Amino acid sequence: MTARDDQIRQLVSELEAHVAEVEARVAALKALLADGEPPAENNP
Amino acid sequence: MSSETLRAWRESRGWDVPRMARELRKAARDADQDVAAHHGLVKMIPQWEQGHRAPRERYRLLYLKIFHDAAGDPSHGLAAGTGLAVRIAEARARAARLPGPGQISALAAAALARPRAAMTPAQIRALAADAISHLHAAAANLAELSALLGDGDGEPGEGTP
Repeated sequence: MTARDDQIRQLVSELEAHVAEVEARVAALKALLADGEPPAENNP
Repeated sequence: MSSETLRAWRESRGWDVPRMARELRKAARDADQDVAAHHGLVKMIPQWEQGHRAPRERYRLLYLKIFHDAAGDPSHGLAAGTGLAVRIAEARARAARLPGPGQISALAAAALARPRAAMTPAQIRALAADAISHLHAAAANLAELSALLGDGDGEPGEGTP
């Protein structure tokens, strides 16, 4: 595995983490709109 | 190579089908080979990717030339490369589905307007601000990834800050 591969994997990991954070917070906001209660696990 | 692999390879670069067709023709030109015309490839590529038809050997070799040679490392295993390509494609697809900063702000504004919201206004604002902050970070990751991979499509669909 090359350094470039490592760099790409690291970037993809970071991207996946940030996307998951956005998804969780958007889900929490949508839950607030849906029934006034955010899901506990999505409420950072 | 499976039909899924062909699609994952293409999507890992952020290429649409016409761009894939151009890349195949370019690789063929470089190798002094004849291939189908652009419009023919644009029809064939989806059929290959959906498993309706299998690409002939010359096209399989062109795919390998484009995606394997680009790895820049003779020891770069195809299986490992394919796994990473799929992972990149999936991460990009998830990023493309994210709402943009404006949509997140609108969601927060709507939540703030609800009288029975379970969170305080400050919490709701913080939630939206965090989401937008992570969105910017994701966009930066995508741009860096695109630069590393040598393609030009690194922006999330609506989430580009």
